[in-house]
Amino acid sequence: MGSMIAARDSSSRRKNYTQIILYGILICFLLFIPLFFQSPYVLHLFILTLVYIIAAASMRFIMTSGQIPLAHAAFLGLGAYVSAVLSKHVGLSPWLSLFIAAFVAMGVGIFISFPFARLKAFYYAMVSLFFGVGLLQAIESLGKLTGGLAGITAIPTLFNTASKVPYYYCFLALTLVSLVILYRFEVSRIGWNLKAIDQSYLVSSSVGISEVKYRVLAVAIGCFFVGLAGGMYANYNVTLSPSSFDSSVTLWMIIYVTIGGMNNFSGPIIGTAVLFLIPQYFSGLKQYAPFISAAILFLVIFMFRNGLVCIPGLLMAFYKRKKSTSKSR
Amino acid sequence: MILSIKNISLYYGKAMALDNVSIEIEDGSVVTMIGANGAGKSTVLRALSGLVKINSGEIWFSGKRIDGTSPTNIVKMGIVHVPEGRRLFPALSVMSNLELGASLRKDKAGIKKDMNEIFEHFPRLLERRNQSAGTLSGGEQQMVAIARGLMAKPKLLLLDEPSLGLSPIMVDELVPIIKNINQTGVSVLLVEQNIGLALRVATKGYALQVGKVVMQGDIELFKSSDIVKRAYLGD
Amino acid sequence: MAESTILLIVATIVNALVLSSMYILLALGFTFLFNIMGILNFAHGVIYMIGAYICFYMATVVGINQWLALLISVAVVGLFGIFMERFIFRPFFGNINSIIVVCIGLITVLVNAVAISQPYNVQVTPAFVQGILKVGIVSLSWQRIVFFLIGVSLLILVLLFINKTKQGLQMRAVAQDLEGAILQGINVHFVSALACVIACALAATAGSLMGSYLSLTPYMGNDIMIKVLEILVLGGIGSINGVLFAGLIVGTLDAVLPIWLSGTATQAIMMLIIIVILLFKPQGLFGKEVRA
Repeated sequence: MGSMIAARDSSSRRKNYTQIILYGILICFLLFIPLFFQSPYVLHLFILTLVYIIAAASMRFIMTSGQIPLAHAAFLGLGAYVSAVLSKHVGLSPWLSLFIAAFVAMGVGIFISFPFARLKAFYYAMVSLFFGVGLLQAIESLGKLTGGLAGITAIPTLFNTASKVPYYYCFLALTLVSLVILYRFEVSRIGWNLKAIDQSYLVSSSVGISEVKYRVLAVAIGCFFVGLAGGMYANYNVTLSPSSFDSSVTLWMIIYVTIGGMNNFSGPIIGTAVLFLIPQYFSGLKQYAPFISAAILFLVIFMFRNGLVCIPGLLMAFYKRKKSTSKSR
Repeated sequence: MILSIKNISLYYGKAMALDNVSIEIEDGSVVTMIGANGAGKSTVLRALSGLVKINSGEIWFSGKRIDGTSPTNIVKMGIVHVPEGRRLFPALSVMSNLELGASLRKDKAGIKKDMNEIFEHFPRLLERRNQSAGTLSGGEQQMVAIARGLMAKPKLLLLDEPSLGLSPIMVDELVPIIKNINQTGVSVLLVEQNIGLALRVATKGYALQVGKVVMQGDIELFKSSDIVKRAYLGD
Repeated sequence: MAESTILLIVATIVNALVLSSMYILLALGFTFLFNIMGILNFAHGVIYMIGAYICFYMATVVGINQWLALLISVAVVGLFGIFMERFIFRPFFGNINSIIVVCIGLITVLVNAVAISQPYNVQVTPAFVQGILKVGIVSLSWQRIVFFLIGVSLLILVLLFINKTKQGLQMRAVAQDLEGAILQGINVHFVSALACVIACALAATAGSLMGSYLSLTPYMGNDIMIKVLEILVLGGIGSINGVLFAGLIVGTLDAVLPIWLSGTATQAIMMLIIIVILLFKPQGLFGKEVRA
């Protein structure tokens, strides 16, 4: 038994090293992207991917507590509109409004999740869906501030330049910091308690984990980051319209999470990167482009039940089996 | 032999649940399988009724190999599993529960006759035939579960912990019930943690411990053995 | 009371009844799938849309009788139900996230396929029933009355089926205890497929009729799906009584609120009402503890 633990220990340490190296390569690659891709449009897509990665990762964080937040895109919109209105009409610096937006989204999240914490699974999902629709309509009806259905334009930007490169680096940094914080939360005691609530709220409450407290906490943290992502989007994109945040966007975020892999922290990151970028490549197909997205969905969901993140594991297992059969011969 | 299980092994993921288990049941006998929680008794029954797939070994039932057969076909062949915790349909009436036991039978007259017979044997169920099953007491629910199993006209009845959650008096009532069933020619495989009940009705026994058969033989052997005590206490 | 007020009230009542009965047909099918397979078929609205378009296509392009077109649509979509059970629901049993993904995939494919193949203008299936019923000052189109009667009679048929037949009993058994049902030898796949066929056929019927009552768009399924979800949440998911009751409420609100409010405001008010009710009754009006 003791030797087994030791063996696992050394192999996990080795795995840690390879992981660090892999992350290093990945981050270097990300740093060099503006050099590889000079086209502003491609850089624009990468910037949007970063925004959606924060949104999807924060959504997954809420989902670990067993709540499916179908208002998540509306919260992205809330963050975006708050930051846009504060920086345009109130005249705050976009850098400040960005973080105020995150706190506002968190505040609204906390405010609704106290009453909503009584609702289980499906009911929570549906009520949050309805709330999201309502929130968006509220934003739409404040026409003087938000421009209504037509949207808001001329939002002050973060940088005083037409180049997209500073945005890319700034958003990359914000995304990495957000992900690290979310990851720290997930592997902390809070993360474990959230998963315990998801498994069984009865058992977890019997061992003294307050269900309401942790469910609210999950929503608060998730909404903070999605609000931040919204603010980033607003002060980058210059214009906003409600349709960018409707419930179909939420559904796509769920898809990013599921296709990437719900059970793994990197799932939403991979899922967003793959599902947001690949269909863009086919955008020349115009009205046929959605079929590409759908094809990817079906392909992944039928072939890799646990999402894209399980591919390395599957390859590894395949490689090992091949090695062991060749050895036995 | 109505049933012979030959060296079956079964894994749940990487965890081994059954390790080379072999069990034989003679036609018309009552065989018991005892063991502590997690010994793999229920898993044997689940494998028999096709709910889980075995990884290796063979299961033969009256001359046919049945591992890999669908649960529906297994019931059709005459193996009926009365599961642990009864798993009645709580919102349906006792009558409907019994009717569902006869889901695969086409002979309406026979079903009617069998149901009357069951009500003769279990007069308490006759009183409660229109009540929903979820409202019955634990003992009554167990009777419905066994009666529902009988409605399928089994050749082999698998009883999983029928004594679970019953009062000692109710457990005593199970003895004649199981013996009666056996006298009509139905073989019984009884899984029990209540060793007293098992020893009173069975003629042959198997003791399981962490997925392995650790003892088998005539029931008299079990009555005199102190291994039984250990298997029962599960250390 | 002014004549126009009476006319408005009668028209609204009839409209409420027609809408309610159509919503209930859809929500009932959705509930079937939920109870029997534990899945939430978010593609139910799109099935409804496909049903509507098949009927429309048969009745206008092919040019056969509308009722025949309706039957063909029901048959085709019903068969599609078998396909859905086997290839979409069975592989993802009990995995709600994957079901959402597969449903979105299905919705994307079907909606876009219809959107591309159809010309961009308002399309309406020709009326199933001509003529107007006159009672005193009130005049009602026969079509509305017939639609309502079809809705009610299908509802009764389905309820009779689940409560009186052997297959219906088996369905209820599967809904209450899946493993218990398997151990009785009930062929769960068959029962599930049957539930899918019924659910899809009901959706196709509602779609075909609504294609004549309102108009057809490739996105008609999304709107009705929201209605179905509202009904399910309000009534308590899994409860058939809940579907009937909440269906009437939602259908009525849908007929009444637009008299004073705009379309989006109607939606918002409805959702607000539902959220408030759920805060007091977290399992919906008729709900029990749920599986998913």
